[in-house]
Amino acid sequence: MAYADTPENAISVIKQRTALMNRCLSQHKLMESLQHTSIMLTELRNPNLSPKKYYELYVIVFDSLTNLSTYLIENHPQNHHLADLYELVQYTGNVVPRLYLMITVGTSYLAFNDAPKMEILKDMIEMCRGVQNPTRGLFLRYYLSQRTKELLPEDDSLFNSQFIMNNFIEMNKLWVRLQHQGPLRERESRTRERKELQILVGSQLVRLSQIIDDNFQMYRQDILPTILEQVIQCRDLVSQEYLLDVICQVFTDEFHLKTLDTLLQTTLHLNPDVSINKIVLTLVDRLNDYITRQLEEEPNATSPNAYLDMDVFGTFWDYLTLLNHERPDLSLQQFIPLIESIIVLSLKWYPDNFENLNKLFELVLQKTKDYGQKNISLESEHLFLNLLSFENNKLQMSSSSTASSNQSIISKKHFIFQLISKCQAYKNILALQNITLQKKVVNKILDILMDADTEELTDNEPESKLHSSRDTTHLVIEDKLQVQRLLSICEPLIISRSGPPTNATSSETNIDEVFFNRHDEEESWILDPIQEKLANLIHWIMNTTSRKQTGENKIQFSLEAQLEILLLIKSSFIKGGINVKYTFPAIITNFWKLIRKCHLILQYLLKKRVNNKTLSSHYSNLLKQMFKFVSRCINDIFNSCNNSCTDLILKLNLQCATLADQLQLGEISYDFFSQAFTIFEESLSDSKTQLQALIYIAQSLQKTRSLYKETYYDSLIVRCTLHGSKLLKKQDQCRAVYLCSHLWWATEISNIGEEEGITDNFFRDGKRVLECLQRSLRVADSIMDNEQSCELMIEILNRCLYYFIHGDEAETHISMKYINGLIELIKTNLKSLKLEDNSTSMMTNSMNDLHITGDNNIKSNTSPEDGSGSADRDTNVAVGSDGTYIQLNTLNGSSTIIHGIVATASGSKLLHQLKYIPIHHFQRTCEYIEGQREVDDRFKVIYV
Amino acid sequence: MLLLALSDAHIPDRATDLPLKFKKLLSVPDKVSQVALLGNSTKSHNFLKFVNQISSNITIVRGEFDNGHLPSTKKDKVSENSRNLEEIPMNSIIRQGALKIGCCSGYTVVPKNDPLSLLALARQLDVDILLWGGTHNVEAYTLEGKFFVNPGSCTGAFNTDWPIVFDVEDSDEAVTSEVEKTPKESEAGQEDDVVKGEPTDKEQSETDVADESAANENELKAESQFKEEEVNISDLDINGSNSPSFCLLDIQGTTCTLYIYLYVDGEVKVDKVVYEKE
Repeated sequence: MAYADTPENAISVIKQRTALMNRCLSQHKLMESLQHTSIMLTELRNPNLSPKKYYELYVIVFDSLTNLSTYLIENHPQNHHLADLYELVQYTGNVVPRLYLMITVGTSYLAFNDAPKMEILKDMIEMCRGVQNPTRGLFLRYYLSQRTKELLPEDDSLFNSQFIMNNFIEMNKLWVRLQHQGPLRERESRTRERKELQILVGSQLVRLSQIIDDNFQMYRQDILPTILEQVIQCRDLVSQEYLLDVICQVFTDEFHLKTLDTLLQTTLHLNPDVSINKIVLTLVDRLNDYITRQLEEEPNATSPNAYLDMDVFGTFWDYLTLLNHERPDLSLQQFIPLIESIIVLSLKWYPDNFENLNKLFELVLQKTKDYGQKNISLESEHLFLNLLSFENNKLQMSSSSTASSNQSIISKKHFIFQLISKCQAYKNILALQNITLQKKVVNKILDILMDADTEELTDNEPESKLHSSRDTTHLVIEDKLQVQRLLSICEPLIISRSGPPTNATSSETNIDEVFFNRHDEEESWILDPIQEKLANLIHWIMNTTSRKQTGENKIQFSLEAQLEILLLIKSSFIKGGINVKYTFPAIITNFWKLIRKCHLILQYLLKKRVNNKTLSSHYSNLLKQMFKFVSRCINDIFNSCNNSCTDLILKLNLQCATLADQLQLGEISYDFFSQAFTIFEESLSDSKTQLQALIYIAQSLQKTRSLYKETYYDSLIVRCTLHGSKLLKKQDQCRAVYLCSHLWWATEISNIGEEEGITDNFFRDGKRVLECLQRSLRVADSIMDNEQSCELMIEILNRCLYYFIHGDEAETHISMKYINGLIELIKTNLKSLKLEDNSTSMMTNSMNDLHITGDNNIKSNTSPEDGSGSADRDTNVAVGSDGTYIQLNTLNGSSTIIHGIVATASGSKLLHQLKYIPIHHFQRTCEYIEGQREVDDRFKVIYV
Repeated sequence: MLLLALSDAHIPDRATDLPLKFKKLLSVPDKVSQVALLGNSTKSHNFLKFVNQISSNITIVRGEFDNGHLPSTKKDKVSENSRNLEEIPMNSIIRQGALKIGCCSGYTVVPKNDPLSLLALARQLDVDILLWGGTHNVEAYTLEGKFFVNPGSCTGAFNTDWPIVFDVEDSDEAVTSEVEKTPKESEAGQEDDVVKGEPTDKEQSETDVADESAANENELKAESQFKEEEVNISDLDINGSNSPSFCLLDIQGTTCTLYIYLYVDGEVKVDKVVYEKE
């Protein structure tokens, strides 16, 4: 009999024959229906079918045969005897239909208790040997297995397991043989086909596990050795990988735990191409499931070892050593995932044992070194990345599955920190990697350590809420060594360059690069997320060490210990070279914090322990020492950045001076101010920066209180004013000097309890104030540019009003006469300005007419007709406190700075506008004076 | 129109980030139409990214620790933009409807934080509202018909200004310094309505008084061994007694409603002040 030529035809034949069979059965024509069945089964002989198609046919056939089987069972023994039929079907012509029929009849017979079950089963399984074609054989045996599922003898599990195992062994042989059929070039497609068929073989193991149930004795003695022997002996890659995976999956994890040795040994004898790591990972997963389950059932037990007195890690470790010894050919790609799996296991079983991890990392280290570090390929790079940064999502440190994500981050945080401080090998492996990879890893580690959400949670959550788990939520830094380890891990980031790679330190000789560097560093501040992260790390370490511990074994850092840690950080970050400009400000801030803290302790001592002189002198020495450290840090920035961030250095010096002054350390404060002046004199070149820096110096000086002795203050403010009067631009000189007038007019600082009118020892010298203002006015008057000159005079007028409000004429020396004189002067000057304006307004108007369609981006609602009504006209330009012109957006929005006025139509329009600045400013000032008359009678004598 | 005023973040030099609760409050895109950074807020990539998410319309003025130019990212460098980096201005003016809002960081105002000096600046810039920063202490008051707002430090960063000192014996000192919140005006006899002083002062003083008494008790105990822990020092003392804060200005026509957000003891407190231009 022939089979159909296409799968489609085959299906229709099968369906047709099924219908015929069913009809015959309903008419009790058994022989005819067997005939049809046999024809139908012939389709399964087709050797050209792919496993998928074959399976489709098989499913339809299976259903038809189920019908037949039902009929056979229902009509036995009235219409026929199944024993007879079993004999009868042996006469079917072809072997495949014959065996299918035989199994159908045989298994139907098994449903009856009087049947000779053993004999039939043995016979069937023996007869199945008759089909040796892999695909057909596999499906036939699968059919046998499916049919006998419910019908195996109930109380003879040994026989049953032997039966299934027998079937399994034969199936595996067929399956392996499939690989070696046909031409060599079809190897790949055959491997694919085999994978499609694997489920048939695997189903046998599933059956086995069902039969065994919890009979460990049988599993260990009979089943496992036999199966493993088969697996080893078949020497087939696909088969070994798949079957071991199935073994790990289908049998209970407790069995695995007890037969761990055997299982692991097996992997040593496999085909060298088998990826052992997959198998081990599956096994580890199963074991971890076990421990998780155990912990959930008995959450009170302290250690997983309580459940089993076996050294699981030890077993794996021995295995690893053996593996490494016997299989030196294993590549890193295979080896690292393997280690990773075992790390997962160790973390689950022995969460606090870092020695295990250290061992594992050491092994990797050894292996990597054996390989030669140069040979780390790109592919293995991501393996290292995963290994070192614990990206693997299987890594769940928290023991209970209900833990929130925050908690798992916290535990991960703890873990990483412990790892860094305890596992030397980890660091060594990291050091072997290339720089980019190291940076990536460290970046990830820092992200975990400083995870903002959990940081804040631990910082702010009141004790009540997290009380029980408080000890675990806080990450505790125990000693300097831990910080040192952490910092040494971070080194690749510390020294990393944000600029292009050419910025190497040795490039000094190359003129181009020097120029490039200079430009880079002076003109722009590159936002560098890495350096920012490092600066955050500094804060993080210092915050962690200063956090008050409440737990049992609390570790409280003394001020000195904190200082030591900070110095450690400093010495580590100095390696960053130019990067110190990003990180040192953070270090300096932390020095400042320690200084304040030290001062508070000192205050406390002076108050409460008057007689303890040694203690307080110890702290005051510490205080001075710390200022020296800060000064050192500032110098380090200066030296490392080649003059590039002098403005920053100046301001850091000023802040130090302010801080020292607040602690009544006049001498130190004076030194820092002097330092700031030195920087100002030697290193600031840009006139804009100079003006701003000078104003800032004046502002800082004006708030000092401790410098009065030894004429420190006097010499500093004179120096400041002198510098102000020597600035490059006249308008800068003018502004600097009138602002310096405040240096002779101390104002109250309410934070320290000073109060205007009550405190009587303010440093005030009205005469000098007046001198400054006069000098400033002289400069303003000498400026040729009329608008600028006027504007400055009005600014000086405003300063005069400030002092006028502030005090009595006799004190401030700013008399109403002086103010009136100044107002007169301004009025005269403004008049000439207006005159100038009127003469040009005609021209401007005509220009406006010309460009009426064009430049409405600058002015939108100009009304050229009333050019003379200047007073009501709204200006869109203002002068900033440093003399820059600010152009307002006519519509809603923010302003822009005018850098230079271009000689275009819009430019001349702008120029025209500039004249209104002083005019309007003066108007506002006059309005202010008029307003003041209501509250202050003295203002009535000022004429506007 | 909502204008957000942030100042003195000092990230990463002095602080690591905004309080989480602030971040959550502010992480609503398309709500705020403009952000004003009033100094010392341009050195952090993450912070600027965060601000940019609130609104891409950002006005920046230079604080003492800002660089002269806006910082660049590496990307900009590649595209050769580094030469024309934008200069950070000292002052800036925002026009919004009938109101003009001036911004300055306050580090060039001499004397620092002086209301009369600030008034002179507001007059010079011809603005109705002056936003300033640099003191790390939130403040808002009306003076001569002008509205002065200092949003404080949004991170509560370390501050080198004079900390509040409670000198030794007389704890009365604490009370006096608390009373004179805006002394300059009162002294000059031209105090308009002082809307809000420095809220942190008050709380600080209270806690400190408590600390004092606790310290007294400690003293009675054995004096033999001194431990630093017995000195009760809070982070606020060390940082210069400033809590994180920021301001939100809701501007409608000539009215500005100011919302002050203050972060105290892990909670966000909100205050509301209304200013109406005359």
